Amino acid sequence: MIVKKEIMAGDILLELEDVHMYFGKVAALAGVSLKIRKGEIHSVIGPNGAGKTVMMNCINGLYKPQQGIVLYKGDRINHLKPHERARMGMARTFQKVEVFGGMTVMDNIRLGRHNHYRSGIFSGAVYIGKAKREELEHRQFIEEEIIDLLEIEHIRDKPVGMLPYGLQKRVELGRALALEPELLILDEPLAGLNLEEVEDMARFIIDVNEEPRWQVTCLLVEHDMGVVMDLSDRVFVLNFGNMIMDGTPDDVQQNPEVIKAYLGEEDLYATRK
Amino acid sequence: MSTTWLPCGVYHQNYSQDQAWFQTNFIRGKMILLFAILFIGIPLVADDYVLSVCNQIGYTVLGALGVQLLIGFCGQVTLGHAAFLAVGAYTSTLLILEFPWPQVLLDAGLAYPISIFVAALVAGIWCVLFGLPSARVKGFYLILTTMAAQFITVDFIITQYVSQIGGRGQAFSLPPGTIKIGPWVIDSDLKVYYLMLVLAILCVSLVVNLLRSRVGRAWVAIRDNDISAEVMGINVIQYKLFAFFVAGFIGGIAGAFWISNLAAISPEHFPWFWSLWLVGVILIGGVGSIHGVIFGSIFMVVVMEALQLIIFWFMELGFAWAQPLFMDFLFVKEAAFGLAICAFMIFEPNGLSYRWWQIKNYFNLWPFSY
Repeated sequence: MIVKKEIMAGDILLELEDVHMYFGKVAALAGVSLKIRKGEIHSVIGPNGAGKTVMMNCINGLYKPQQGIVLYKGDRINHLKPHERARMGMARTFQKVEVFGGMTVMDNIRLGRHNHYRSGIFSGAVYIGKAKREELEHRQFIEEEIIDLLEIEHIRDKPVGMLPYGLQKRVELGRALALEPELLILDEPLAGLNLEEVEDMARFIIDVNEEPRWQVTCLLVEHDMGVVMDLSDRVFVLNFGNMIMDGTPDDVQQNPEVIKAYLGEEDLYATRK
Repeated sequence: MSTTWLPCGVYHQNYSQDQAWFQTNFIRGKMILLFAILFIGIPLVADDYVLSVCNQIGYTVLGALGVQLLIGFCGQVTLGHAAFLAVGAYTSTLLILEFPWPQVLLDAGLAYPISIFVAALVAGIWCVLFGLPSARVKGFYLILTTMAAQFITVDFIITQYVSQIGGRGQAFSLPPGTIKIGPWVIDSDLKVYYLMLVLAILCVSLVVNLLRSRVGRAWVAIRDNDISAEVMGINVIQYKLFAFFVAGFIGGIAGAFWISNLAAISPEHFPWFWSLWLVGVILIGGVGSIHGVIFGSIFMVVVMEALQLIIFWFMELGFAWAQPLFMDFLFVKEAAFGLAICAFMIFEPNGLSYRWWQIKNYFNLWPFSY
């Protein structure tokens, strides 16, 4: 039985303790520890292939780490399946958009509220009373809270598969928000967006994090350093499955090891020329 | 293909209007007209031959609806659906013939309706049993495991064991008067036609309702992207099995309905080709569309009947080549089936329902096509 537990702002929401994940003999994560406090935006950066997405998949339940503990609100959740973790209030978006292409925008977002709907197979088949009332209640929530926030009114009846990439990313964020999550895992939400869309998306992330209505804790994986340094409360740097450091954006920018492993790429590129 | 454009000047003021089935009075009128034609018009003008063709269409709709649900809406490709029709038909027949019904129920004519419901439940559970592999395998491999349903159920269990119950040999004959609903004995094409209409409308509305509520959305999500469906909190295995249950349930209703049209049932009524045929129906009608089931069924049944009539006509005119074709019409039918699917895959992969959608939008938006 999964019980929703209330925790205070500033408490530790999610904790990874010495997590190891191997694919054959390759160590994708070699002993990673991470603490995320409620209410913050915690970023994970690192070069390609550093294991960032693997780490998200371990948190999310798509991968089961071979060693180490994943704690959510103080409970060990290693054994829980992704859908059970979603029920505990964990939502995510994907690096490559994984929307339901054949469904409309509205239905995609409705699907995100799957756990908030109560009707089952019988009341759904009859569609009078409970199921119908519920559809209308949730429709109102979706229209007023999500579609309005993300400014996607004009496309709500369009099939998502036919939308441009930037809007698909936005719909995916909307779908994750519909779950009313406490922890939102954003796996490269800005990849492939143009400047205007990046600004919009960064705005949405701040809104979702700071507005009293939402106050969602965000775990952000991103390559756009400008956005990461501006948005994050803390930054976690990963390289080849090992943690380099976990600190405030300013500390990270000063750290010589981080500059060598990741931030300094630009200088390297310049010297090669 | 999703929403249909509404005519100019239709403004909704609340969500319940926007989510209603019949959004304008014109649409409601069209639907009432359709029901009037189905319930009053066709029985008035049609002779027994036309009615029997309609019954075949209805049977195909009921059978293909479950296939559409599994393939078109849940993405679980199945090639053994005739097995669940057979389970439904045999459960219903055995219940009618062998079950010691209390005289009260027999007099009230409830034996057959109850047996339809029980048959649907049994077929649903049987379908879940063969849906279990879907927890582990998908796509091509699932096709093979669902084909196993056909061979295990029809060719093995029903032919070898179930058919021997009561020592009747291969076929179970249904004596006249056994199929009775309330005061009506189902003994003419017209009565079968009305039974078919009621069951088809019930099943179609059941599936449509499911598709616009929580369960149906979860199915479509699993079809489109099962990993992100799981991440969004859907218990994928549970919902796949739900889909198999509902598909089997409708299959069971289809099978139990069809015995009302038959004097005897035998395993030959549910060959593997019939499973394939049902998949062909949804391919031609349009995968992932309820309209597709209906259009596909009408197309397949009517085209095959027309083909038979044409060959018969040629035979009457004295063409020698038409004689063997008419004698072996089954092979002609199979060839035409293959040809029709090829043609549709090449020229209209979205099926007949897509064409219907285009036509409907053309008229709704006329005279401005934007």
